[in-house]
Amino acid sequence: MQTTDLTGHISKRFNKDLDNLRNSVLAMGGLVETQLADAISSVVSGDSELGLRVAKDDYKVNKLEVSIDEECGRILATRAPAASDLRLIVAVIKTITDLERIGDESEKIGYLASKLAGMDRPTDSYIELKNLGHHVLQMVRDTMNAFARLDIEACKSIMLEDDRVDDEYDAITRQCITFMMEDPHSVQRVMNVTWAARALERIGDHAKNICEYVVYMVEGRDIRHTRHAKDKQ
Amino acid sequence: MPESWRRFLVSTLLLLTGATLIGWYYGHADWGLLIAALAALAWHIRQLLIFDRALRIGDFEAFRYGEGIWSQMFARFSFLKQRSRRHKRAYRQLLREVRESTNAMPDGGIVLTSQFEIVLCNTAAQELLNLQQRQDRGQRIDNLVRDPLFIEYLKSGIPQAGVEIPSPARSGNWLLCRVVPYGGNQQLLLVRDITERRRLATMRREFVANASHELRSPLTVISGYLDTLAEDPDVPQAWRAPVAQMRSQAARMNNIVAELLELSRLEAPIGERVDQHVDVAALLASTRKAYAGKAKGPTLTVNCESRARIVGRLAEIESIVTNLLSNAMRHTPEDGSVTLTWRSGADGAELIVADTGEGIAEDHIPRLTERFFRVDSGRSRDDGGIGLGLAIVKHALERHDAKLEIHSQQGKGSTFICRFPPSRIVIDQPMPISAGTGASR
Repeated sequence: MQTTDLTGHISKRFNKDLDNLRNSVLAMGGLVETQLADAISSVVSGDSELGLRVAKDDYKVNKLEVSIDEECGRILATRAPAASDLRLIVAVIKTITDLERIGDESEKIGYLASKLAGMDRPTDSYIELKNLGHHVLQMVRDTMNAFARLDIEACKSIMLEDDRVDDEYDAITRQCITFMMEDPHSVQRVMNVTWAARALERIGDHAKNICEYVVYMVEGRDIRHTRHAKDKQ
Repeated sequence: MPESWRRFLVSTLLLLTGATLIGWYYGHADWGLLIAALAALAWHIRQLLIFDRALRIGDFEAFRYGEGIWSQMFARFSFLKQRSRRHKRAYRQLLREVRESTNAMPDGGIVLTSQFEIVLCNTAAQELLNLQQRQDRGQRIDNLVRDPLFIEYLKSGIPQAGVEIPSPARSGNWLLCRVVPYGGNQQLLLVRDITERRRLATMRREFVANASHELRSPLTVISGYLDTLAEDPDVPQAWRAPVAQMRSQAARMNNIVAELLELSRLEAPIGERVDQHVDVAALLASTRKAYAGKAKGPTLTVNCESRARIVGRLAEIESIVTNLLSNAMRHTPEDGSVTLTWRSGADGAELIVADTGEGIAEDHIPRLTERFFRVDSGRSRDDGGIGLGLAIVKHALERHDAKLEIHSQQGKGSTFICRFPPSRIVIDQPMPISAGTGASR
């Protein structure tokens, strides 16, 4: 009787550890989502103060990454997890790296927004950046939801969504090139817009990576780079 | 003993005695008893099997042919089953009605366990927060609504406040979330769409700010010319008094505009906090000095019982003190007194302004902090009050997580207490603190 109680206790603590780990990854995701949303609205509304705040707050994301990383190391060392538990930890370690990168890109966008705020604003007030941004933000949000729900179907549709983000990015780049050719004075400003679009496109890629980790975590199947391999054949 | 039991026992006994007697007649009493007992056993086994079969296929109507005591058991069991089925149907109906009514609610409602796991949610909640009723049961709510402010609010365990977060489902929309303790140790999370309210508030704020800003420059020009006119010796005597009056009214309008601007600044969302440690004791000392020069007016006593400092903005704390104090001085007769107290304890610090003035009627107290609210509109317009002071105080206090409490008794005086939470207080050297009552009256 006592022994069953004991094992129950240990695995309960272990379960709780894993649960806390998952929760803190999702909390980090929430922070990154907010950073990204703020970064996008700072570009769109030309709010340099908000942009600088996003850039400044990136340290919070970094701090979370470090602490979650440490926690993963601790669990690996003390619990020696196997099978799905191990996959969870591996996926978490990779996910937080990508989340941190998303945070970095948001920081970059915030910084660019503070620069763009000081320049002339185009008449469309960056509508195309706004659309791309909301598209990407929705992707990141869906990704974190899929992580929480372990929803593989959602992951698959998010990964397809990334292609559309890439298309949108291409369109913005072409548009920017046209602007620069038409009016050489605007090169500096339009370059910043291109950088911001580039950062958003990268965020889409990071979200896609996280989806791949979710699939790995649930099914134990590594689906990275599979499409390109198929293309080559 | 029920009738059926008696009949059952008597008939069993009769069977066994009868069989024994017959056996005895033929010289084998034991054989007779054995055969009768075996027959009874076989009969009971058969009934038992039928009962089990009826139970298994769940149909007692088709099998209500038990005999003797068994038939009654069958009937009773079937009756119980029907009754429970009827109850179940009633409960299901009730449950459906409850669910329909919760789904009809415009606000989202989510039942959470003490660990914030989702137990139930209504349709509105699913739409507002992008939840999926089936799939998300048992999922922690903060895994799906991940706004840092929301997570902080859940963890804080202070349900009264509520938190405003951007909607995860529709960008640009805002939600107000509140947690209410519910049932045993469950919690109810209420979610309301406040997009429209926020939009109106922003619109009003911007309108007030813009309007006051626009009024400022014409006013500066007007009062500038009036100042020159008032000092010009060439102005005819008949015009002197009107010009002086115009000048003082222009100054008053300047004041109003300045305060409106101050108010809209205070109402704006808090950006990056530039917090200093505000030395309240020093602030009170300088306030006392400012009032000491005045010959007229009630006596001012300053009790500084603490060296606690407030973490916040000096300009705003200063505006709280001056607004409360000037109100108190204005509403207290010359032979009265005003007491200004600053003290701190384990549960935060208090700034108390108590006067012995005319007091405020109870039904006016809740409305005091409304802008341009006047207890007596005819009177206070003349004595320099604008009607924005307490609104400014309220907003400045809100920005310091502090609360304003007002106690008043008509004819005896009023007490305004600003309570600052411990998180906003720094104490350098602790001083003995007198345990005092809430009001100094």
